[in-house]
Amino acid sequence: MLKNYLKIAWRNLLKNKTFSLINIIGLASGLACFILIALYVADELSYDRYHEKANRIYRINSDIVFGGNKLNLAVTSDPMGETLKKDYPQVEAYTRLYNSDGYRMVKKGSQYIREDNVAHADSTLFDVFTIPLIAGEARTALNEPKTVIVSESTAKKYYGTTDVVGKLLETDEHKSTIYKITGVFKDIPHNSHFKLDLVFTMQNLDYQMGNFLSHNFQTYIVLQPGVNYKNFEKNFTQVIDKYVLPQAKQFMNINSMDEFKKAGNRLEYNLIPLTDIHLHSDRRGEMGVNGNIQYVYIFSAVAVFVLLLACINFMNLSTARSSNRAKEVGIRKVLGTERKSLVNQFLTESTLTVFIATVFAIAIVWVTMSWFNDLSGKQLLFFSLFQPQYILFLAALPLVVGLLAGGYPAFFLSSFKPIAVLKGKINAGFKRSALRNVLVVFQFATSIILIVGTIIVYRQLNFIQTKKLGFNKEQVLIVNGTGGLWNKSEAFKEDVSKLAGVSGATFAGYLPVSNSSRNDNTYSTSPVMDSKNGFNMQTWIADYDYFKVMGMEMVKGRAFSKDFGTDTSALIINESLAKILGFKDPVGQKLYTYFQDQSGNKLVTYNIIGVVKDFHFESLRQGIGPLCFRLGKPDWVTAFKVNTSNINDLVKNVEAKWKTYAPSMPFSYQFLDDAFDNMYRVEQRTGKLGLTLAIIAIVIACLGLFGLATYMAEQRIKEIGVRKVLGASVTNLVSMLSKDFLRLVIISTVLAVPLSWWAMNKWLQDFAYRINIGWWVFAAAGVLALLIAVLTVSSQAIKAALTNPVKSLRTE
Amino acid sequence: MIKITDLEKYYRTEEVETIALNKLSIEVKEGEFVAVMGPSGCGKSTLLNILGLLDDPDGGSFVFNGIEVAGFNERKRADLRKKNIGFVFQSFNLIDELTVFENVELPLIYNNVKAADRKKRVEEVLDNLKIMHRRNHYPQQLSGGQQQRVAVARAVVNNPKLILADEPTGNLDSSNGNEVMQLLTELNEKGTTIVMVTHSEHDARYSHRIIRMLDGHSVTENILI
Repeated sequence: MLKNYLKIAWRNLLKNKTFSLINIIGLASGLACFILIALYVADELSYDRYHEKANRIYRINSDIVFGGNKLNLAVTSDPMGETLKKDYPQVEAYTRLYNSDGYRMVKKGSQYIREDNVAHADSTLFDVFTIPLIAGEARTALNEPKTVIVSESTAKKYYGTTDVVGKLLETDEHKSTIYKITGVFKDIPHNSHFKLDLVFTMQNLDYQMGNFLSHNFQTYIVLQPGVNYKNFEKNFTQVIDKYVLPQAKQFMNINSMDEFKKAGNRLEYNLIPLTDIHLHSDRRGEMGVNGNIQYVYIFSAVAVFVLLLACINFMNLSTARSSNRAKEVGIRKVLGTERKSLVNQFLTESTLTVFIATVFAIAIVWVTMSWFNDLSGKQLLFFSLFQPQYILFLAALPLVVGLLAGGYPAFFLSSFKPIAVLKGKINAGFKRSALRNVLVVFQFATSIILIVGTIIVYRQLNFIQTKKLGFNKEQVLIVNGTGGLWNKSEAFKEDVSKLAGVSGATFAGYLPVSNSSRNDNTYSTSPVMDSKNGFNMQTWIADYDYFKVMGMEMVKGRAFSKDFGTDTSALIINESLAKILGFKDPVGQKLYTYFQDQSGNKLVTYNIIGVVKDFHFESLRQGIGPLCFRLGKPDWVTAFKVNTSNINDLVKNVEAKWKTYAPSMPFSYQFLDDAFDNMYRVEQRTGKLGLTLAIIAIVIACLGLFGLATYMAEQRIKEIGVRKVLGASVTNLVSMLSKDFLRLVIISTVLAVPLSWWAMNKWLQDFAYRINIGWWVFAAAGVLALLIAVLTVSSQAIKAALTNPVKSLRTE
Repeated sequence: MIKITDLEKYYRTEEVETIALNKLSIEVKEGEFVAVMGPSGCGKSTLLNILGLLDDPDGGSFVFNGIEVAGFNERKRADLRKKNIGFVFQSFNLIDELTVFENVELPLIYNNVKAADRKKRVEEVLDNLKIMHRRNHYPQQLSGGQQQRVAVARAVVNNPKLILADEPTGNLDSSNGNEVMQLLTELNEKGTTIVMVTHSEHDARYSHRIIRMLDGHSVTENILI
């Protein structure tokens, strides 16, 4: 029986080549999108699940509001983990990671190589995470000072072998520091929220331990089986009272949490499950750039919709062509075929179509995989499709989609009454199908929403590019790692600034782009800090030429200057802070902070000497918070204002200078505008992916429309002939044939406008600085969809209208 | 009104060239009622298509109303056609989605007649042909005879000089057929020229003259009056 079904199904596919092709092309592109995005989503959801205790591991987050400045941190204070383990039996283990000090320069032969994936870790690392060691002893690997464990590929990179335990590794810290390698771990899988190549023992860390008020450590705890982490979070109140408050009292004159809170402040700790970090956490101090669950939702929805669009083509074309099949149904029924077996036959047809489409889809996935990886920033592998779970998924796909696309046509077609059919009474409702119209409207509304979405994403990106930022990101060359020049960094800066095409130079350890240094400090407006006059803000270090090179403007007072001997205690604040402080004239006012050293807390007094115009020092997703500058020499990065059309030569000249200063160090540079664009890479990817999906959706919808128009022209060929004989012009006929479809597209636009407005408005809420959605965006999307639909339909309409009526009217 | 001389028309498929009209010469005077007869494949329909300006001859001359129209392009032919020629088909060729009124109205729409004039004109014709009471019905609600009446109404609504009828009774029973032939005769008596292709000797007898065709040329002409 199945063989018979398949045979008939196959012949039907061959018989209607145009329609089969439209169906297969549409379904194959829809399925290819679906498969690619399924791989993408599966990868996003797989993060950090490889740890044996994954579902019991939590990271401690800190939420702090102090003096109006809000901080959501992925890190917590250094004693927190140990305290929890000591006081609460629910905590089975804890470990900390510290990577605030950035990269390491590691020596290989006579050259240094920059390693970015580095961290310090407690020896309890292996009690929490599943990081298999292929050499060394987990229990002792990180127990001693001056030890490091390295990843397999790092071991091979430096030594050509993984047999490196006991060997020495040299970094440029304090000019030269030697570590002993005590272990080699398997490379961290790509689907991990932290990437680690070198893990130093925490004992190397030069840090004042024991401070509950300073938050710098990613801290992970393992809860005992069965412990509810939400309930456990309640214990943080106790921890704050018992440990944090006493330090706060001593340090900041804060007597009770109530008083602290009354002044509008907040200190809270909470837990985030390890497996939620990648998609749900975007805090300061993350171990890397995380994903975003919102995009997972958006792309999943779009993938399903694109596939639905292709299914709709199948439904529409099958039911539109029902009159062609009606006779067959009638004859089969007269011959005694049950409805059930007719349904089976039609379902076999749809499943076969989808199956063929799936084969093409897999081919498309194969061809487009590397391009998709570029687009999505993933490293998905085509051959991962042949893992058992995916094979099952691919096998189920034609069945599910075949049922989805073929279900309605199968029941519709098999419902025909044989007598009515054979008497020719069903020359079946091509025109009067409300459902088909609804489905076409759905297709076009989806396409228009995608077009609107894409336009808005691109407009927002363009807005970001061209927004006045309060600093000038153009023509600024950033040379990284100048700290590695040690006492020669100043000389290097001077030397480069003498080059032709360089018009300014500054040490720029703090830059208004992500991946640059950040530093939060606590200040007060009075020498005695309490919960009312204390506040937190960004404290950046800058040298004399910083403001000039960055193109920042002083609105009051002055920038740091060598002419004033007292500038070491000078402070430049931004407008936001000036507003928060509420001083009528901030210049000349004083701010206070405590500086901690071996001898205890020391009060430091700063004089405000200038106010810098607000500039965007974080991404435009965030507003501008309070910030101040102190004078210093942040020489780990140096920025040069350049003024030349021949950038390539200039960079070559700077590199030549670098080689004379640090022949063993790699030369690493970037431009400030590129670094700025990097902050919006997710949005850029979304834009590109959205554009691609919008194009695919519109192509699929148009394929369907093309099929319907072809069929309609075929059905109405006689009518067209009659009208032509009666004097209708080609224009008359084309407009008559296109009108119905165009009405549907217009309805789609009307429906798509509020939906897309709502969705994109929501997306834009992520940005503190955003565009207004102009009405023209919707008009443009609607007109675009209309134009595409006109082109699609009119080609068929024109063809039909140009046919010589003699042919269509020949007496049967 | 119609004068064709040495008219030729070929149909080519990939391998064979078929001669449909072979140096055919015919003249039809204004006010005449001419029947064209002949076996299947003799070129009757081809002739009618060329007379109706639906098709272009491959050779010879075709003078319509004193104008040489052989070699006219599609647009010129269409323009001449919609102003001067009405068609009646064997299979009626009414548009299923339009009512009787709308079907009859179509040629007027395509001739850019104003709505008010159209209404008057259509009602007049429907009245004349006694199908006014069916004006809001759809073709499938009518009998064959009624449908052909509507088709005739549609053919004459624009006051054409020439009506071309392609086996107008072919799909009708004899009483309905006679009615339609009666209609055509009446139209002819009012001055409309009619060229009718038919297989029926009975119908042919309504005409003034019968042109008999064989293999693309005319063999005999019977003058009936």
